[in-house]
Amino acid sequence: MTSIIAFGGVCIVVAVFGIFAFIFSEVVPLFGKARVEKTATVQFPVTADGLTGLDEWSQLPFHYDGQRTLRFQPVQPSINQPSQVTLPLPDAVTVTSRRFDPEHNRLILGLSDGQVAIYQVKYASSADATGSTVVKGSVSSERLLPLPPGQPLQSVDYKDAGDRKLVAVVQGQGASAKLLVASLRQSRSLLGAGQVKIGESIDLTAKLEGQHPEHVLIPGTADSVIVETDRHEIFYLFLKNSAWELRQRFRPFPGESSPLAGIDLLLGDVSLVTWSDAGDLRIFSLFVPPGETTRLFGQTKSFPALPGGILHYLPSQRNKSFAVANDQLLRICHATTEGVRASIKLSFRPVDLAMDAKSEHLALLDNSGVLHLYQVDDPHPEAGFRAFFSRIWYEGSSKPKHEWQSTSGTDDFEPKLSLTPLIIGSLKGTLYALLFAVPIALLAAVFVAQFMHPDVKKVVKPVMEIMASLPSVVLGFLAALWLAPLIETRVPSVIAIVILIPLISALIGFGWSLLPVRHRNLLPKGSEYGVLIPIVILIAWGGWHLGPILERVFFVTDAPDGSKIADFRLWWPQFTGTPYDQRNCLVVGFMMGFAVIPIIFTISEDSLSNVPPSIISASEALGASRWQVVRTVVLPVASAGIFSALMIGFGRAVGETMIVVMATGNTAIMDTNGRLIFGEFGLGHGQFPLADHWDIFNGMRTLSANIAVELPEAAVHSTHYRTLFLGAMVLFLMTFSLNTAAELLRQRLREKFRIG
Amino acid sequence: MPPEPATPASPTTDFSAQGEPLNPAFIEVDHFHFWYGAKQAIQDINMEIPERQITAFIGPSGCGKTTLLRNLNRLNDLIENIRHEGDIRIDGQSLYDPSVEVISLRKRVGMVFQKYNPFPKTIYENVVFSLRVAGRNAKAELDEVVERSLRGAALWDEVKDKLHESAYGLSGGQQQRLCIARAIANRPQILLMDEPCAALDPVATLKIEALMTQLKEEFTIVIVTHNMQQAARVSDRTAYFFMGRLIEYGPTLQLLSKPREKATQDYISGRYG
Ligand SMILES: Nc1ncnc2c1ncn2[C@@H]1O[C@H](COP(=O)(O)OP(=O)(O)OP(=O)(O)O)[C@@H](O)[C@H]1O
Ligand SMILES: [Mg+2]
Repeated sequence: MTSIIAFGGVCIVVAVFGIFAFIFSEVVPLFGKARVEKTATVQFPVTADGLTGLDEWSQLPFHYDGQRTLRFQPVQPSINQPSQVTLPLPDAVTVTSRRFDPEHNRLILGLSDGQVAIYQVKYASSADATGSTVVKGSVSSERLLPLPPGQPLQSVDYKDAGDRKLVAVVQGQGASAKLLVASLRQSRSLLGAGQVKIGESIDLTAKLEGQHPEHVLIPGTADSVIVETDRHEIFYLFLKNSAWELRQRFRPFPGESSPLAGIDLLLGDVSLVTWSDAGDLRIFSLFVPPGETTRLFGQTKSFPALPGGILHYLPSQRNKSFAVANDQLLRICHATTEGVRASIKLSFRPVDLAMDAKSEHLALLDNSGVLHLYQVDDPHPEAGFRAFFSRIWYEGSSKPKHEWQSTSGTDDFEPKLSLTPLIIGSLKGTLYALLFAVPIALLAAVFVAQFMHPDVKKVVKPVMEIMASLPSVVLGFLAALWLAPLIETRVPSVIAIVILIPLISALIGFGWSLLPVRHRNLLPKGSEYGVLIPIVILIAWGGWHLGPILERVFFVTDAPDGSKIADFRLWWPQFTGTPYDQRNCLVVGFMMGFAVIPIIFTISEDSLSNVPPSIISASEALGASRWQVVRTVVLPVASAGIFSALMIGFGRAVGETMIVVMATGNTAIMDTNGRLIFGEFGLGHGQFPLADHWDIFNGMRTLSANIAVELPEAAVHSTHYRTLFLGAMVLFLMTFSLNTAAELLRQRLREKFRIG
Repeated sequence: MPPEPATPASPTTDFSAQGEPLNPAFIEVDHFHFWYGAKQAIQDINMEIPERQITAFIGPSGCGKTTLLRNLNRLNDLIENIRHEGDIRIDGQSLYDPSVEVISLRKRVGMVFQKYNPFPKTIYENVVFSLRVAGRNAKAELDEVVERSLRGAALWDEVKDKLHESAYGLSGGQQQRLCIARAIANRPQILLMDEPCAALDPVATLKIEALMTQLKEEFTIVIVTHNMQQAARVSDRTAYFFMGRLIEYGPTLQLLSKPREKATQDYISGRYG
C-alpha cells in the first residue's frame, strides 16, 4: 500500500517537473541572441561600387552599378541564370543620386538634369522540372518624373501612399542647394486609373530658415518631408490643407564634437533613425507630446556607439530590427527593446547592405564586386527581459510604458509584450477577491465550527462543499451578464451595503452584550444568527435603496453643458483621475471571491473543528467567554490549517481563468438589438484596459486569462506563443515560491501551537 | 422511585457525633438528574458539600462522577442535547437561575481535568490565562500571581527559570501541577479536581496530595479519585456513586472503615465487578 502511495507521489513530482521543464524549454529561446552565419558568396562581374538587393528567396541578388546597368547573379548557377538589364535613361544624363526603397524594391534615381527616374526591380518564381525554385529578375520602368530642368540632384525620395504620391529632391550643391517637392496626381476615368501627372513643384528652401538641405526623406504617408541640413539639423515639414508648414526643427546631436552623420526611417515610418560621426545612434519617434496637439519627433531610444561610425544602415521589412555597418563591424539591432542582437567582425569593406523581405538573409557587397550572403536566425528579436518587465517607449506613445498588446492588423505593428500589467492584473484580482472572501469565509468557519448548533452544521457544511464545486464558467457568466450590469449603476448602493452590514451587525452585537443576562439567556446559544439574518437582509435592502440618495448627495459632477449630474460613473474618473469600467475589479473580485469562499471555509472549518475539546473546556472552565476561547485558544491552534486554507484560496484566485475572461468581457456577444454587450471596450484585437494601477473600478486582464484568450490564436513557436508560456512560467513561479514560503510558515505555526 | 440516597438526613449530627467540626454546606445538590441525549447519566442526587473541606467522589468507571463534577461549573453546557432536572446551588444561589452568568460562575469555580491539558502557550501565559480573559493585564499583578500560583502548586522552584518556555516542555506531573496553578490563579472559591493524579507517579501524587491539604485552607475542594488510599489520605468526606446514583455519603474514615451499604463495602474491598 505504501509503495503505491510512494509511486503516486513520485509520479506527481515528475509530472510537475515535467510541466515545468516543458514550459521552460518553450521560454528559453526568447532570451537568445541572433545567430548570423555566412552561407555563400556571389561574384558580380564588376569591381565598381554599387547598390545591391535581394529577392525574397535569396536566390538571385542584383547589383546596380550606379548608372545604367543592373545585373542579376544567381547564388546557385546550376538553377538560375545570370542576366543583365540596361536602364532606359535619357541620353546625355548621368545619375547623381539614388535611393533604394526596400519595401517595394523601388530604385529612385536623381539625374544630372534635375529629373527623377523610378524603376522597380521585380522577381518572379516558378518551379522547374526538378522541383527547385527558379527565380527570374526583371526591371519595370515605373515612371520618369519631368521636374523642371535644373541642377543635378543631390538627394531624392519618392513615396506612393495611394491617393497621395510625393516626390522630394535636393537640387544643387552647398549654398545653392534647393529643396523641391512635387505631388503626383492620377486622373481617374471611367476606364480606371489613368495617367499620372506631376503637379507643380514647390520650392521649400525658404522653410529651412537659411540652412541648406543635404538629404531628404519622405515617410510612407507621403504627407511630409524630413530634411537634413548642412548645419546638422533636422527639419520636419508637413503638408496641411495643401500648404507646407514647418512643424519642428531639432538637432539630434547637440554639441559640435560629433555632429549628425545620417538619417533614415524604420519600418512603419514613424521613427527616424539618426546617427553621428562617432557612431552614436538615436531614434526619434512621432508622438503627441504633453501640451501639444500635433505629432512631433522626440527621442525615444539610444544605442551604444558603433566604433568607427556608421556607414551603412538598412531597416528590416519585417520587424523593428535594423542593421548598421562600417568597415570593420556589422551590427543587428532591435529598435523596440534597444537591444543589440548580433555583432559581426568584417574582413572586407562593405559598400552596400541588402536584406530579404523576411529578414532571414543579409547580403553585404564589398568593393571588389563580391556579395557575402549571411543567414540571420533571429526568431524573437522583440523579446527579452527589458521587453517583458521594463517600461518601454513604444512608437506613438508619449512616455515609456508597461503595456501588453500582442497582435494587430498591420504588418509594421510593434508588439507590446510587457508582462507587468498582467502580473499586476493577476495580483489585483486576487487581492480584491481575497479582500472580499477571507473575512466572510473565516468568520463563517469560526461560527460554524465553534458556535453553530451541530444539527444546523450538518446541513451548512455539505452545502458549502457543493458551492465549492460550482464551475467557474457559471460564476463568470453570472458576473458578466447579471452582476456587472446590476452593479454598474448602483455603486453607491454597494458601498453603502459594504459599510453598513459589518457596522450595524457589530453595533447589534455590542447592544446585545449590554442586555441583562436574563434576557440574553432566553436565546439558545448558537442560534443568534436567526436574529441576525433578517436584520442583514433588511440592511442590504435598505443600503440598496439608500445608494441613489447617497449618489445625489455625494457623487455630483459637472456635465459638459454646465449642469450638475449625480452619477458615480462620471464622478469617480473626475475625482480620482482613474477610469471607471463596467466590468471592473469589483465585479471580478466579488465573483472570484465567491469561488474561493467555499474552499477557504471548508478547509479552515475543518482545522477549527479539530481543535481538541479538552483545551476548549479548559479555557471555558477558566472563565473565558466563547469569543475569548476562539480568540485565545482556538484560532492559534487552528492557525496552521487556516493558513493553508488561505494559501489554497490564493492559489485558486491567482490561477482563476474563466471568471476573469468572462467578467472582463473578452468575448464578443451581441444583445438582441445587435448592440455589443460583451467586449465593449471597443479597442483593437488583443487590446483591453490594462491594470497599470491598483484602482478598483477599472478592468484588467490576468496572466491566466491572457493565456486562455490568446494561446489559441498564437502561431506555434512564435514570439507571442512563447511569451504566453513565459506568462505561464511567471504564474508557476509566483504560486510556487509563495506556496513554499507559506508551507515553511505553516510548519512553524504548527510546531508552535502543537498540542501535547 | 429510586431509594433514598444513603446520606444521613442530618449530617451535622453525624459529624458532631464523631467530634469533627463541619463547615456550613456550601454546595447543595438537590434532586439532580442529568441526561446526555436519551441516556441518563445521573439520577436523583442529593448532597451537601461543606466549605473549605475536601470531598472525594469515588465509584466505578462510568458511574457519573465526572458528569456531576462538570455540572458544578456548568461545563456540560458545551455538550449538545443535554438535559437536567433538579437544582444545584452554590452559596444558596441556583446555578440555573436565568440571571446567572455562566462566565462569572466559572470564575468562582476552578477545575483541574482528568487528563492534564495546558494550552500551547508558555508556562507564564498558562498561569495568567484566567486573569487575561478577565481583562487584567497589569504586568506587576500578573508576575505576582504567577509566582503565588506556581508556589501554591508546588511548581515554582522547578520552573521559575523557564517561565517563558512552552508548557509542553514539562513532565506530565509538572504539567498537571501547572494546570492546578492555572486553576487557582484567579482565586476561585471552589476547586474541582477530576482524578488529578491518574497520570502521575507516586512522588508527584504525594506532592499534589500535600498541595491539596494546603489548599483546603482557602478552597472548597471536590476530588474524583479511583484510589481509596488517596481518598483516605486527603479527603474529609467521601461520596460513593454507582450507576449514576449516590449510594453512600459520609465522613471519609467512617465510610471507608464501616460502610453502611453492602455495595460500598464490595467496592472498597475490591469485590466490585
Ligand atoms: N459527552 C457525553 N455524551 C454522552 N454520554 C456521555 C458523555 N460523557 C459521559 N457520558 C456517559 O455518561 C456516563 C457517566 O460518565 P462519566 O464520565 O461521568 O463517568 P465517570 O464516573 O467519570 O467515569 P471514569 O471513572 O471512567 O472517569 C457514562 O456512561 C458515559 O458513557
Ligand atoms: Mg471521569
